[in-house]
Amino acid sequence: MQKVTLTVNGREVTAEIDERTLLLEFVRDTAGLTGTHNGCMEARCGCCAIEVDGDVVKSCNVLAVQVNGAEVTTIEGLSPQKLGPVQQVTTQTLAGVYEPLDAIRSSVEDLHPLQAAFHRCHALQCGFCTPGMVMVLKDYLEENPAPCRDDVRKAIAGNLCRCTGYQHIVDAAMEAAEVMRGAGATTTDD
Amino acid sequence: MKPFTWLAPDTTAGAVAMLREHAPDARAIAGGQSLLLALKDRSARPTHLVSLSGIDELTGVRTADDGSLVVGAATTYAVLARASLAGWHGVLAEVAGDLADRPVRNRGTIGGALCTADPRYDMPAFAIGVGAGLRVSGASGDRAVAAEDFAEGAGVTALGPDEILTAVVLPPLAAWDTVAFEKFRHRVFDAAIVSVTCALRQGPDGTVAETRLAVGGATPVPVTAPVAAALLAEGASAAEVGTRAADEVLPGGTTGGEAVRYRHELIRSLVRRAVDRALSDVRTV
Ligand SMILES: Cc1cc2nc3c(=O)[nH]c(=O)nc-3n(C[C@H](O)[C@H](O)[C@H](O)COP(=O)(O)OP(=O)(O)OC[C@H]3O[C@@H](n4cnc5c(N)ncnc54)[C@H](O)[C@@H]3O)c2cc1C
Ligand code: FES
Ligand code: FES
Repeated sequence: MQKVTLTVNGREVTAEIDERTLLLEFVRDTAGLTGTHNGCMEARCGCCAIEVDGDVVKSCNVLAVQVNGAEVTTIEGLSPQKLGPVQQVTTQTLAGVYEPLDAIRSSVEDLHPLQAAFHRCHALQCGFCTPGMVMVLKDYLEENPAPCRDDVRKAIAGNLCRCTGYQHIVDAAMEAAEVMRGAGATTTDD
Repeated sequence: MKPFTWLAPDTTAGAVAMLREHAPDARAIAGGQSLLLALKDRSARPTHLVSLSGIDELTGVRTADDGSLVVGAATTYAVLARASLAGWHGVLAEVAGDLADRPVRNRGTIGGALCTADPRYDMPAFAIGVGAGLRVSGASGDRAVAAEDFAEGAGVTALGPDEILTAVVLPPLAAWDTVAFEKFRHRVFDAAIVSVTCALRQGPDGTVAETRLAVGGATPVPVTAPVAAALLAEGASAAEVGTRAADEVLPGGTTGGEAVRYRHELIRSLVRRAVDRALSDVRTV
């Protein structure tokens, strides 16, 4: 066993863990943040992407002990989490007034430009790949603020999406890039 | 994964001592991008993992007094891709920035790629192609190994159980006038099926004085194609060099199985492309 401390989205989490614990498992099971998804466990799908000391990594291919002491940012860390009381979801509430942002008591202004753009551009269907897509694109756009569509496609080469066909994801990235450059409208990064 | 003990030394000497103490079942781990996959499917079952990522002397890029470029073995692709390197040394940054994917490049290291000795990885072929030297530290002292003598088979290197690779040394800029790297893969983040490095130096009269060709992916370890490379100085065309290189690396490749014929064809095309690019580079300088 090994004692590991990580600062996850600003919160310090310390635990005695088995050396074999993957960073992905630490984030989901020890820190209790399940926004980071496990899609393949073999560094292929990118659903588990998170930031470690500012660099995006596939958390299923990193041991928690390897990054002991690091600052970790997960998808939950991108915008304030204001979870409302759990509501009964029925087909009717879904068909009627379903507003995804209501469910987390959030508004577009609170979201990271990428999250807002994914929302606006309908860049997700089942949403399983989304946390990884957003984390990789955040890392990419911070370094390359003015990409072309081909650049974006290359940047997410290690992220698989089985639903969207990538078109809307690229749309969202282009829109978010504009906002992040300060050229676009509405949303702001906090 | 099988259970292991985690060790995190902060010097190369410390790491070597730990590997020696726990040999033969201790393993070094740098970024873990290849090793973790092997641990997960239990094809690697080390009892001790010795982490190299806390050893400062193993990371970073610097130019030595003689002009050679000393790249720490535990330097990540991401750091290499961002490095501003002069002349053909810059091709190292280009190669590092155009393999795997962003998250993997943030953790994977050049030394990890060489020590995995996967025939399809880019860095081993590139290192052989430019005539790089490797520095190794072990319990019985330090030694230097030429990149082309390092891989002894797919997944097998010249490293002893208590040795680590400390640096990859690219020759000084004067060694080559230009270096061209070409590879073919189906999807952006797939490892290359075949890669080709062409390094070229001109004589004072502007003719080709020396050419070095290395081909990765086609054989269990990347190889050079000296006979094909020598043709260039004799005035052969890029296409002729390509055809010759394909036959040299995969003799009888045109009549082999499908996979061999495919690679033979890839070598032919990629060598022609690399040589063309190298020639046009030196002619426009
Ligand atoms: C999704 C994915 C896509 C990839 N695509 C590509 C690609 O397109 N092209 C390509 O070239 N590669 C590709 N790779 C492979 C990548 O290049 C390697 O995984 C990476 O460079 C290994 O470096 P590492 O630091 O993570 O090594 P580790 O996984 O830590 O180590 C690998 C092996 O080398 C040994 N080792 C590491 N460093 C040293 C050292 N200094 N001294 C002695 N032994 C050492 C370890 O003991 C282990 O056996 C890909 C990998 C993944 C996961
Ligand atoms: S779960 Fe990590 S890449 Fe698929
Ligand atoms: S939205 Fe379903 S996998 Fe991408």
